[in-house]
Amino acid sequence: MVEDGLKLTTYFGERDRAGGRLLADALVDVYERHGVKASALFRGIEGFGERQRLQTDRLLTLSEDLPIVALAVDDRARIEALLTEVREINRSGVTTLERARLLTGALGPAELPGDSGASKLTIYLGRQERAAGRPAYLAVVDLLRSHGVAGATVLLGVDGTAHGVRERGRFFAGNAQVPLMILSVGDDQRIVKVLPELSSMLSQPLLTLERVRICKRDGALLAELADPPGGELGGEACRLKLTVYAGEQARHEGQLLYSTLIRRLRREGAAGATALRGLWGYHGDHRPHGERFWSLRRHVPVVTVLMDTPANIRRWFAIVDEMTGETGLVTSEVVPALWNQSI
Amino acid sequence: MSFILLWLGVGVLGGVGAISRFLIDALVSLSGGGRFPSGTLVVNLSGALLLGLLVGIGLHGDAYLLAGTAVLGSYTTFSTWMLESHRLAEDGERSLFAANIVLSLVLGVGAAAIGRIIGGG
Repeated sequence: MVEDGLKLTTYFGERDRAGGRLLADALVDVYERHGVKASALFRGIEGFGERQRLQTDRLLTLSEDLPIVALAVDDRARIEALLTEVREINRSGVTTLERARLLTGALGPAELPGDSGASKLTIYLGRQERAAGRPAYLAVVDLLRSHGVAGATVLLGVDGTAHGVRERGRFFAGNAQVPLMILSVGDDQRIVKVLPELSSMLSQPLLTLERVRICKRDGALLAELADPPGGELGGEACRLKLTVYAGEQARHEGQLLYSTLIRRLRREGAAGATALRGLWGYHGDHRPHGERFWSLRRHVPVVTVLMDTPANIRRWFAIVDEMTGETGLVTSEVVPALWNQSI
Repeated sequence: MSFILLWLGVGVLGGVGAISRFLIDALVSLSGGGRFPSGTLVVNLSGALLLGLLVGIGLHGDAYLLAGTAVLGSYTTFSTWMLESHRLAEDGERSLFAANIVLSLVLGVGAAAIGRIIGGG
């Protein structure tokens, strides 16, 4: 089934509070109460927000308030019903609303027009969900890669809801159904071909499709930034989002790419940026990579996200462009509405 | 000074040391903005200098326990130094890793020695 949906994303700090409790818990409680189809909480590894305070898991003292990204995906009516509540409790961070097509159940190839350029396909799974006799995320990533989808990153959530039910990670528990999300980006024609196989592989498929523009891939400039829409959507609240997918060990002039990029953006006065560490993934022609037991260095993927006004994003894109001269997948998206409660 | 009061003092002053470390580490790390754990280095070097100074001026007994073990003991941190070094190695930052180990050792021993000389010991 394909329906029009909305994706609500909030960016804030791990220690932010709402009404005497942690904002992270309060938010997922709202999603649980509303029975949101898919919601997940991700802990970032480095970033900064409006207050320009750098947080990084690399330095002990600067890791006490790491960035959190929480997202909730459902049909328009349900997300609109909880939007006011979420904006009310998220007094310290940023809230965005994006359009997404919600895909559930069996999918035929004809249901999607392979219209323009590229899409972002997000697949919502449980941590220990299995498909084709092995961990579902491995099977899905291989399938995406075999269809030539440009890149995929597996992110592990710490809390959230799946098909309307709360699934929270705990220290002493199996955590089998804790949310896990696969972010993938590729040309429409390839994504459309993947969908039927993907939906038959998973026991309870839950996917979203969003429009995206692939700007860079392994150093090659493929397209300009997404155009900010005119009319009602291009209002005051409209923002552009840049996402950089690269390996954690990817470097620019010998320095770690994601970290150097975030610090440079902070110096230049960007509104904020967040990096999330993946569990597994690939981009371009590279083989899928993840944690290896015997290796000191980590070979996991990292996703870096930044949002700003269309005019500012042009400045930040120049920096991103300069730093992704050899590697990385860079995409841009239109964020129709963004509210910043911290100012 | 009674035994209980002394140990209460160790607890309270230990807290003061820990808070000072947190503040100074955060301040230095943020102003640096780089990936080198400069905050931890500054904290450990200044702690070594001060401890050397306490020994140099011949502080002993309860005062030494409170200022040395309680305040400076919780102010400086071996575990953070090790953890951040490990993370540099994990990130493949070989030169930063080596610098973090060697600088802490060489400058740390130097700072303790200078502290003692200043203190007149």
